[in-house]
Amino acid sequence: MKKHITLLALFFASIAGVNAQGIMGGHVTGNIQLDGQISRSDSIIGAQDVPEMLLLNSRADILYTNGNFSAGMRFEAYQNPMLGFNIKYKGAGVANYFAAYNGEKLSVTAGNFYEQFGSGMILRAYEDRYLGLDNSLLGLNVTLRPFDGVTIKALAGKQRYYWEYGDGLVRGIDGEVNFNSIIKSMSDSKLRLTMGAGFVSKYQDDQTIVYPYNPAYKLNLPLNVGAGAVRADLSYGNWGLQAEYAHKGQDPSIMNDYIYREGNALMINATYSQKGLSANIQAKYVDNISFKSVRSESGEMLYINYIPAITKQHTYAFLSMYPYATQTTGEMGLQGDVMYKIKKETLLGGKYGTDIHLNASVITSLDSKRIGGAGTLGYETNGFNPGELYYADASLEVAKKLSSKYKLTCTYGYQIFNPIVEGHPGDLHHNHVVVGDLTWKINKKNVLRFEAEWMGSDSKYSSDVDDKRCGDWIMGLVEYNFTSAWFVSVSDQYAYKDGIGNYYNLSVGYTHGATRFQLGYGKQREGLLCIGGVCRQVPASNGLTFSLTTSF
Amino acid sequence: MKKFILSLVCMTIASIALAQNAQMPQNISIKALDGSTVQTSAIQNDGKPMIISFWATWCKPCNRELNTIKEVYEEWQEETGVKLVAISIDDARSANRVKPWVDGNGWEYEVYLDPNQDFKRAMNVVNVPHTFVINGKGEIIWQHTSFVEGSEEELLEIVKKAAAETDK
Repeated sequence: MKKHITLLALFFASIAGVNAQGIMGGHVTGNIQLDGQISRSDSIIGAQDVPEMLLLNSRADILYTNGNFSAGMRFEAYQNPMLGFNIKYKGAGVANYFAAYNGEKLSVTAGNFYEQFGSGMILRAYEDRYLGLDNSLLGLNVTLRPFDGVTIKALAGKQRYYWEYGDGLVRGIDGEVNFNSIIKSMSDSKLRLTMGAGFVSKYQDDQTIVYPYNPAYKLNLPLNVGAGAVRADLSYGNWGLQAEYAHKGQDPSIMNDYIYREGNALMINATYSQKGLSANIQAKYVDNISFKSVRSESGEMLYINYIPAITKQHTYAFLSMYPYATQTTGEMGLQGDVMYKIKKETLLGGKYGTDIHLNASVITSLDSKRIGGAGTLGYETNGFNPGELYYADASLEVAKKLSSKYKLTCTYGYQIFNPIVEGHPGDLHHNHVVVGDLTWKINKKNVLRFEAEWMGSDSKYSSDVDDKRCGDWIMGLVEYNFTSAWFVSVSDQYAYKDGIGNYYNLSVGYTHGATRFQLGYGKQREGLLCIGGVCRQVPASNGLTFSLTTSF
Repeated sequence: MKKFILSLVCMTIASIALAQNAQMPQNISIKALDGSTVQTSAIQNDGKPMIISFWATWCKPCNRELNTIKEVYEEWQEETGVKLVAISIDDARSANRVKPWVDGNGWEYEVYLDPNQDFKRAMNVVNVPHTFVINGKGEIIWQHTSFVEGSEEELLEIVKKAAAETDK
């Protein structure tokens, strides 16, 4: 890392030097973020003991752009990492650097880069700063756009692993064609069609994994593992259809207990939409598709591909208390959404109209039969037959502007959650959630928001499982905004039956342009938090938290 | 390490010395709602100002912002010629829901997808919503993160100023 820093310093010093003299022109932009917490341990909400008292994550992205040329670097410091971040992040230094040329027909990036093929089923190098995820590739990424409507990408690199890089080498190529651009007669057609295909190969040196049925033998591991995918995006007028299929060769790894079964994944999405009415339905089938660049890595890093949950991302606290996470070893599911706007000046629409949003999803395991452990094909599946229920939900949201001052949103949600998706078998949880959310615009500068939530659940807290979300809950939140600059919010979540916990929180924030400072005190659950006009993921904490972000 | 710090100082001085407005990045690949890949250079408004708003389907304040502006968008367009371009940062989990979402809400904005957040990174967006005003010369003249009812008025003032400059 030290060597890198010196090289980078020289590089940037020279750019900055020349820049200051106005020879090259160009711009320096960037963003800085500081997050800290001063925590007290609390076994009741699961906040751990923090011997160092103050935990601090910070990062700065600096980007230099001059015409089609850009170069950037990122400084990161975790002293020490905040709760929820892997302790391997401990330390400080330059985590990321690159130089790039972005022309009309050619883009080249050398250094750390992010990339995605299709929806990411075989390759997605991405980051999520709030979850501590970064699987950027260090290497070379080339994109060619030889003519309008054709994109070809080729890349090779190693994946970031905290402050190091994983051993596995990732290589990939992807092509995409937009038929409306390349076929002249289709350019104004109602029929829109884009198709693509990609291939990714990873290489990792051999290692010794003992064959469990006869310890005298070791597994004959594939050093190169390939994965390919094809996709299409078709639309005609109000109708749309997107589909992607991926296949992966034999890839024994710790994620699938070193079995030799090949992997498959299929995602299909159909939509209908017109102004004021839309619907979509999405189906997903995933079988042994975990794809990592290092076969012995079981944590959150070194994923080459990305298989998202298709369930709706809820934003209200109780609706998102039991989030569903994709089971890359195998699952299948359906998700549907309907949005409808009741027109203005009708009986139900009133003066401003009413928005209705329905959603439902169901996810199950695959109906499979085990045929062996490590070194075998592992299991057989029974076609598209569903197995055990993993997750199901349904929700109805009605949003209505009552007058120029009041806006009300009411939501009802029902969920069935199988704790096995988080690794511990147990009874299914059945939860009912009701949310009321009222915004009161007192005048141009003063806005109040009230939120009340209730969750009734058949789950009960027990110290064996120690799941702090069990039981029945109520919540209240009041948020006051003075222009877009200041906000204060007070909230409390309380387990009133069969559960434990009382999460009270006081937050204040100040925003000026692209700079924002926020200070919080109290107990906080991990998850998506939307207060003071922005949304972000937050870790579990108990005590004082502060956050500063700025872009320039 | 000393050199590194020195270079940071140099850069900061250099950027302050050249305190002119940064251009909106060109040639970054984003997706149109029909699934085709386009470059950010396609985001244009004939020399009139633009609002670029980064949002996501799961972000309540973002949706409040876009729904609030929807009600006054026609007036704003008539008055200033402004165009709002909404950049969704939804990833593969919800990217397919963006088009139905836009139609279901009845938004008349130009909408693009930034599923792997290349444009978001190039614009230094940290949280959503994050809104920019681009003047007729393609320069970023204003940016703001967060949305609260009423703050659209401030946005309109900036757009009006940008439109007046263009007309000069």
